[in-house]
Amino acid sequence: MPPDLLRLGLLGGLLGLDGTAVGQFMISRPLVVGAVMGWAVGDMELGLGIGAVLELYLLVSFPTGGARFPEGATATAVAVAVAAPFSGAGAVPIAVAVGLVWGQIGGASVNAQRHFNSLLVPEPGSNTASGFPPGLSHLIAIAADFLRGGVVTMTGVISGRLLIGSVVDQWPLSSSASTGLLLVGGAVSAGILLHDLGGFRRRRTLFAAGIALGIIGSRLL
Amino acid sequence: MTGKLPRTTVISIFLRSLLIQGAWNYHTMLGAGFGFSMLPGLRRLFPNDPAAVETALDRHLEHFNAHPYLASVALGASLRMESEGEDAETIRRFKIAVRGPLGSLGDALVWATWLPTVSVSTLALFWIGLPGWAAVCLFLVVYNVGHIWLRAWGLRTGLEAGRNLGRRLAEADLTGLTARLQPLLVLALGGLAGALLGGQRGLGESGAVWVGLAACGFVAGVVGGHRTWRPAAIATVSAIGLIAAWGVFG
Repeated sequence: MPPDLLRLGLLGGLLGLDGTAVGQFMISRPLVVGAVMGWAVGDMELGLGIGAVLELYLLVSFPTGGARFPEGATATAVAVAVAAPFSGAGAVPIAVAVGLVWGQIGGASVNAQRHFNSLLVPEPGSNTASGFPPGLSHLIAIAADFLRGGVVTMTGVISGRLLIGSVVDQWPLSSSASTGLLLVGGAVSAGILLHDLGGFRRRRTLFAAGIALGIIGSRLL
Repeated sequence: MTGKLPRTTVISIFLRSLLIQGAWNYHTMLGAGFGFSMLPGLRRLFPNDPAAVETALDRHLEHFNAHPYLASVALGASLRMESEGEDAETIRRFKIAVRGPLGSLGDALVWATWLPTVSVSTLALFWIGLPGWAAVCLFLVVYNVGHIWLRAWGLRTGLEAGRNLGRRLAEADLTGLTARLQPLLVLALGGLAGALLGGQRGLGESGAVWVGLAACGFVAGVVGGHRTWRPAAIATVSAIGLIAAWGVFG
């Protein structure tokens, strides 16, 4: 196994732990994962760009209760690692597409992990005689989650790099058009968030004030 | 109650509560993590009685679910009740009664409001032109100030209130806090839209066609809500795939 791949897998596993099992400090959010993975592959700007796009897509994806959701950490880790070795306008959009697909696979693996955890934990009412003791079962579950995140990341990087290598040079869109394409999908998530907050009619004044501030801010900076 | 548990034990419970979802599962959900987090407190409450610790722990491994940050409220209150010698059935009923409200309060405050507010504000600043590393640091610091405060407040409130938790939660008015934060989120969301429209990292150089398509996507999200997310993601991936194929074979 190439050391680069192992390193990326370890990092993906570590960042993925924060998604549910450890802390939830939000270092597993795409923007943060993008920065960390960008640093790891030697191109922080690339990582931040991909992380920001995926953060936008996953704005409305939160780990509420037992809900199934795309896993942002491994999705972003895979996307950044897939895009890094390639140049050209197609690298980012294709990597983001790979990331979005791998986010679903990551989500399915989280679901499997939760079923696995059911086998580990002590059965209530059995005087902790069944399963592992609470401390040990916790440790095993967290280690398994780390391993899961690592494997999901590594398989995603391998698959994504095989795919992107064969198509990236023929990508027909310019860099700015590629950004536009990615932000069209991201805009849907922003709309969903406004829907959750009461919709445009109810929030139009504040929302319009925000747009004005955003445009003025981007002109000034 | 806090007099019965030394500060080091409370810190140990707090640190363990950071791993409360470490063994999240579809059978007991947070139950295993709840017991795991309570263990230092139970050992302190029953110092020379391993059998009592084992029995109490066994009760707390039962099914429990709540928002992971606000689960610390139930943790503290359950420990207080254990220390006051409440019977097992009362504690079990208490946990059943609080898990729903702690879940919905936490989901509304943290997942649906606090996290998106910080995330959207950070994205807006990033697309306006703030250096990426600064945006990431800002996101992590601001989010986790609220996060750690909420967990610590929850544990302390639970330990102080015990079974009188309902009154303390009502006084804290977390629903009101959620409602007060939402206008800030709307403003930030508008700011993000403005930054995407005007910023160089956004749609500023993409042209009118992409701005129009993004506006259509936004309207679809506002009208359709969450059911539009998956079709939008599939459409994006499909469009990228088709454009790549067009590049190769076209």
